[in-house]
Amino acid sequence: MRRLHAVDDAAQALGLFAGQKATDAMALVPELATDEADPAGDAAALAALALWCVRFSPAVAADPPDGLLIDITGVAHLWGGEAAMLDDLLARMARQGIPAQGAVAGSAGAAWALARCGGGRDVVPPGAEAEWLAPLPVTGLRLEPQTAAQLLRLGLVRVGQLAAIPRGQLARRFGARVLTRLDQALARAEEALAFRRPATPWFARLAFAEPISAPEDLARASRDIAACLCARLVAEGQGAGRFELAFHRLDGRAERLAIGLSLPGRSPDAVTRLFAPMLERVDPGFGIEVVTLAADRVEPLPERQASLAAIGEVAREDGVAPLVDRLANRLGEGRVWRAEAWPSHIPERAVVRRPPLSAADGRAWARDRPRPVRLFARPEPIEVTAPIPDDPPIVFRWRGTLRRVRRAEGPERLAEEWWRRPPGETAPADARDYYRVEDETGARYWLFRDRLYGGEVAPKWWLHGLG
Amino acid sequence: MPASSTLAALRAEIAALERGARPASAVIALGDPRVDGRLPGGGLALGAWHEFAGEGLELETAAESAAFVVRLARPLTGRGELVWVLRRDDLHAPGLAGLGFPAERLIQVCARDEAEALAVMEDALRTRGVAAVFGEVEAVDLTAGRRLQLACEQGSATGFVLRRRPFGGRGRADASSAAATRWTVAPAPSEPAPGEPGLGAPRWRVGLERCRGGRTGAWIFEAAEDDDAAHPFRLVAELGDRDVAAPERLRLAG
Repeated sequence: MRRLHAVDDAAQALGLFAGQKATDAMALVPELATDEADPAGDAAALAALALWCVRFSPAVAADPPDGLLIDITGVAHLWGGEAAMLDDLLARMARQGIPAQGAVAGSAGAAWALARCGGGRDVVPPGAEAEWLAPLPVTGLRLEPQTAAQLLRLGLVRVGQLAAIPRGQLARRFGARVLTRLDQALARAEEALAFRRPATPWFARLAFAEPISAPEDLARASRDIAACLCARLVAEGQGAGRFELAFHRLDGRAERLAIGLSLPGRSPDAVTRLFAPMLERVDPGFGIEVVTLAADRVEPLPERQASLAAIGEVAREDGVAPLVDRLANRLGEGRVWRAEAWPSHIPERAVVRRPPLSAADGRAWARDRPRPVRLFARPEPIEVTAPIPDDPPIVFRWRGTLRRVRRAEGPERLAEEWWRRPPGETAPADARDYYRVEDETGARYWLFRDRLYGGEVAPKWWLHGLG
Repeated sequence: MPASSTLAALRAEIAALERGARPASAVIALGDPRVDGRLPGGGLALGAWHEFAGEGLELETAAESAAFVVRLARPLTGRGELVWVLRRDDLHAPGLAGLGFPAERLIQVCARDEAEALAVMEDALRTRGVAAVFGEVEAVDLTAGRRLQLACEQGSATGFVLRRRPFGGRGRADASSAAATRWTVAPAPSEPAPGEPGLGAPRWRVGLERCRGGRTGAWIFEAAEDDDAAHPFRLVAELGDRDVAAPERLRLAG
């Protein structure tokens, strides 16, 4: 059976509603224009709208099928108050042809109810949720349709009536779900929202009366906004490890840039310098009307005092940290690292990469066995003449050259880690016998023989490292 | 003699002019007067950059020169940050740690091409708080070399350039270089104590090919057995120029 998925204001005025049978609707309004519902398209449009709303706050959660929840904690003052912010948001949506309703409240549930069933553009003062919600219908509580229908049948039409019933009875009669929803709406219970980005009070915004697009204007805007946010970080003794700069264009798209710092920082110059080379990638389109900067990984960063003893030395914050930031942002974070020991005896797993200035976990290198200076990511196959099993080779050919082994050490048997083997299987078939050998010129090689002699598969020889 | 002392004074003056207004910087002594005596200031100059090159396949792998340079730079590891600029990330940290090098502090940077590797080296050398920068590049031409030297003087770091063609291929022509010293490093057969099985301490046939303000030479070094020894090498033999070239020719013939 075909039903109406959504109706616009004009259709609503004619008495049509979502969920109505299509044939009934056609009978009522013969000239009704309908189109196929496209839930996937709606979801994509909602996601795009959520992205667009990031200009208001970094914490935006899509609330399918047709809602958006925005956490405006700590950002409303940028618009001169919550009411002004809501007006701005709805006006911009209206300009784009999106009929929207909105409300501001202390809980997501209350805002949801007021936006859908309220008087329009309600802004609830803190703590007044119960009072504002009382006259609203219970359908505003995001209840299951059956529960809502049951409540209505019993004459519980308003939220206020529901809130007046003792909690125990309410839970027994209608299930704990009703109680949870009621608490969420009245800001008595926390609610987990799937924000696009976690809410951050570390957010700055610059709006321009005239759209900007010149490269030097973008540079100036990025400098100004960095100074603005960093001043707040300094005032509160915080530093951030990541900054995201977004240029919101007139056509609703946003150009985003992000930088990471190896140590938390708040120097506006450093932030501006790291963003500067990326600005040329920004396509301003028809112009940029808003610039936002959000700081992430914010942590306390005490003011540093130059100690007398360390005057000759250079603090990491001044010396190597900016270098690492420059390199990591220019080459990519994966190209700058430090090695750290990992408890594994398999050579290629004995090292893990960490961010360069991260705190060491104090694990010592295993220095009891000599290891080569260079280790190939992929061992290279070699042709070998070895006299008897368990002996190092006498001669081997690598990259087309025959090398005569003069001295050798080994074998050092490294077996596959037992916890990686399927349970019950104990055959040491995957053992490698490593030899350190020196050829006639004195060059040193780290060879291994894969598998043992006498197995089903003939052993193979590989060169794994040098030096 | 008055003549030689005048000459020495003039040499010192020229050296001071070449350095700019900076005071004579410290050196890493190699621990043997036969080597240190040939280097200006009695050792490998800090605050400058030095070039190390191998031959043949060594130019592609840079394994022996890395093993040599890591030991050479060990006295610098306590003085600040260490940066290693790579083109091919095959440096094995446990191997470096085994040579007494603080591999967990070493900042490794993998550059995408030659120009980027040089730019990163320059940037790192200029940074305050960095003690040593190692770079694996194909060749350093005169301009790039001057830039590296300027960067060394602005910061306080010492540069170690390992000549390497990480992905093989034909090498670029040997351009004249602005390095303070230029060394060739080739492996030499080890000589363990009689009756001792296995490998002895590694040895290198090392040539000092170019040395601003000093004299060239060639030696065979052996790594000191103890990682914490005062000097990382023991001089085994001093070679004449002919000795340096000889083994290669012999091997080709035989």
